Amino acid sequence: MKDILSNRGQADNPFRMPEGYLDSFEDRLMARLAAEETEATQPKRPVWRILKPALTLAAMFALIFGMGYGVLSLTHTLGRGIGTTTSDTYATAEEEMIRPVSLINYYQTAESEEESADLDEETLLNYLATELSFADLAEIYAQTYQK
Amino acid sequence: MTDQEILKLYREGGREEAFRLLVQTYKERLYWHIRRMVLDHDDTDDCLQNTFLKAWRSLANFRGDAQLYTWLYRIATNETLTFLARQQTRGEYAGLDAADRLPTDPWFDGDEVQTALHKAIAKLPPKQKAVFNLRYFEEMPYEKIADVLETSEGALKASYHHAYEKVKTWMKEALDAKY
Repeated sequence: MKDILSNRGQADNPFRMPEGYLDSFEDRLMARLAAEETEATQPKRPVWRILKPALTLAAMFALIFGMGYGVLSLTHTLGRGIGTTTSDTYATAEEEMIRPVSLINYYQTAESEEESADLDEETLLNYLATELSFADLAEIYAQTYQK
Repeated sequence: MTDQEILKLYREGGREEAFRLLVQTYKERLYWHIRRMVLDHDDTDDCLQNTFLKAWRSLANFRGDAQLYTWLYRIATNETLTFLARQQTRGEYAGLDAADRLPTDPWFDGDEVQTALHKAIAKLPPKQKAVFNLRYFEEMPYEKIADVLETSEGALKASYHHAYEKVKTWMKEALDAKY
């Protein structure tokens, strides 16, 4: 294979650079150097200064929240939203309906209701005649009228 | 002004003046060294500025056991290799995109053979590219290339030979395909 690289003509430089590039190179380099050195000698920013924007934002949110809370407290509207009222009312009503009642109380109430009920004479006589014996009736009579 | 005079001036307190002299002395050679590796002018400008900024920061620790010229070439080569590696991780293959743009690059006047040559060099692995460029274009002795790249001369000779053969083959393929 013919040695194409042995021809030194192609080793001539085919590249060019913009006019005046090398003349201005030192100035640009020294300017960059000065900028980097200034940056390096500047004191580092303290942590609070880095966090300042975030802290300001957080403080603003806290202030807005505080103001809103204050206004609602002063106007007594805090906790009286639509949803809260409905659920509170429901809870109170439910509590009243499911008040615990003892079994004894229940029977006492039932007995008194029975006692107060009006019984007609005929029903009563029928009941006594069919359900009780003669002896039972005599005993009741004795208890009622002999006191 | 020689390297030794620049260093003497730096150590005697004329730091900024010494640095300016250093930049004036080496900016052009380093520019072309970087440019042949990255191909694009703007990328070259970035790498060259970074090279001198690093030199400025480490000049105080320069012990003088290497030549200033070798030391600067080492910084420039490392800076360029880092740039090419970053380019590779971004998805471009170490200057290949820049090589494809060569025919339309306003700062490139190469003919077909030169375009094929630089496109072929762009295909080389970055470190082999550095070896090839330093030897082929700058005709730097192996001994000095070994100092710049901190590698043995034997390894460099082998690396240059492989690079040379690959570039020759790729150039031939590219030019044969055209005609």
